[in-house]
Amino acid sequence: MWILWVVIAVVVILLLWLISVYNALVRIRKRVDNAWAQIDVQLKRRHDLVPNLVSAVKGYMKFEQETLDKVIKARAAAVSAKGMDDRIQAEQELGGFLGRLLAVVENYPDLKANQNVQKLMEELTTTENKISYARQFYNDTATRFNTKIEVFPNNVVTGMFGGKFDSVPLFEIVEASQREAPKVDLSF
Amino acid sequence: MGFTVDFHAEEEKNVRKTFFLVFIFLLIMALFGLIIDIVFALFPIFTIVLLVVALIQVLISLKRGKQVVLRSLQARPLNEDDFDEKQLRNIVDELSIASGMAVPPEVYVIDNDKVLNAFATGSNQENAVVCVTTGLLKTLNREETSGVIAHELSHIINRDVLLMTVISSLLGAVVILKIFALRALFSYLRFGAYRSVAGRRRSSKSGDKSALAIIAFLAAVAALGALFSFVGRLTLLAVSRTREYFADSRAVELTRNPSGLSSALRKIWSGSEKMKTASVATAHLFVSDPLKRKLNNRTSFISNLFSTHPPIHSRIAILENRSEEDVRNELSALNEGSHH
Repeated sequence: MWILWVVIAVVVILLLWLISVYNALVRIRKRVDNAWAQIDVQLKRRHDLVPNLVSAVKGYMKFEQETLDKVIKARAAAVSAKGMDDRIQAEQELGGFLGRLLAVVENYPDLKANQNVQKLMEELTTTENKISYARQFYNDTATRFNTKIEVFPNNVVTGMFGGKFDSVPLFEIVEASQREAPKVDLSF
Repeated sequence: MGFTVDFHAEEEKNVRKTFFLVFIFLLIMALFGLIIDIVFALFPIFTIVLLVVALIQVLISLKRGKQVVLRSLQARPLNEDDFDEKQLRNIVDELSIASGMAVPPEVYVIDNDKVLNAFATGSNQENAVVCVTTGLLKTLNREETSGVIAHELSHIINRDVLLMTVISSLLGAVVILKIFALRALFSYLRFGAYRSVAGRRRSSKSGDKSALAIIAFLAAVAALGALFSFVGRLTLLAVSRTREYFADSRAVELTRNPSGLSSALRKIWSGSEKMKTASVATAHLFVSDPLKRKLNNRTSFISNLFSTHPPIHSRIAILENRSEEDVRNELSALNEGSHH
């Protein structure tokens, strides 16, 4: 008779353990989704900001028409990009050109003194920072999640639920476009 | 990632410590009440009164501690029309995203151009406040301000702020108890002395005995109160000092930029004056000691025991991965330069 009770106790303990592991995994998975959503919000803000900024600086930056054109084109590509990989690719391109624009503005004292431009530049700086912080937080959370689903004995639980706890991709920085130094043309 | 501190565990530890402290505090207050009741045979009046007082004290410290601190330091909500303050709002929002906070904290400003400092308060993430002086805003660049704000947000996420607020207000209660006991003791001594002169002829031995017991009891309460407040102060300071190192390291984890914070600390060290509105009760909340006590820059055992912040040269040395001696020499050279 007592063997039956022992078996029941073991089963109950196993079940409780299973539930707690499952819930912990769901919670951290939700955190990963939230982190991704946060990146999305900031990217939208970036798209809204670019046209304003370009029209505000256009008059001052006659020599940088090429840089401005590239920014506008990259924004259009980023807005219309479909699918995760394409979007990441297009946003990285846009980010690279915006970074260059921010660096180039340093060469125009008139422009930097303009209050409206100053405000827009601050908005752009903070949006770019928010994007990179959101990406950093997403990557940290995703790494924690990916580790959690692979360690023993969690991997037994994730195995039982099939595709529900697959590892999530990291938002990698493509080194080439990020590391490219802003080209500052001093020949005029 | 090369971070060895598990910050989630740190946060839970702080919440547990706070519960433990509150529990011990309630226990001590109840014990005081019980002793008084037993001596005067009034059970359970004083036990209940002291417990209720203690509970109210805890609740007030959690609910109103933030407002009390902000008012005592004359802080105001920030003005988004001002460029520097709007930038501060942006920086706070950025780092809230980096730390994964659901709601970015409120931001307050202290109008004081001569002081460079910042602090955080509020019992949880949802009602947290970050506050900086205008001097800090005007002197530090974007990167340096980010370092300081990241340090303050770390205090909020690690729940240091909760622990600190509760400790300091409980200390307040113990101090009040001590003063109460001392007052009672003095007035009893005066009154008792008068009575013994007036009633010298009626020599009542039993009356003397009970008077002695009461005096001994009040003295014991006062001494215990003093002892607890002293030990409590030391605990608060020890907690405060170690939390600073944790907050620094987490700030670097958030910004991935140790040079922002270390350069900010250097400017705070050389360019800030003493803050007149700050006191011993609020000093531990700030990013660096607002009272600029010499104590905080020494490293002897006694000064370690009594200072609220670790010496700035130690913090910079850790951030820049250099030897403490090296940084200390650099800072004292910097200081002499600014005086000439």
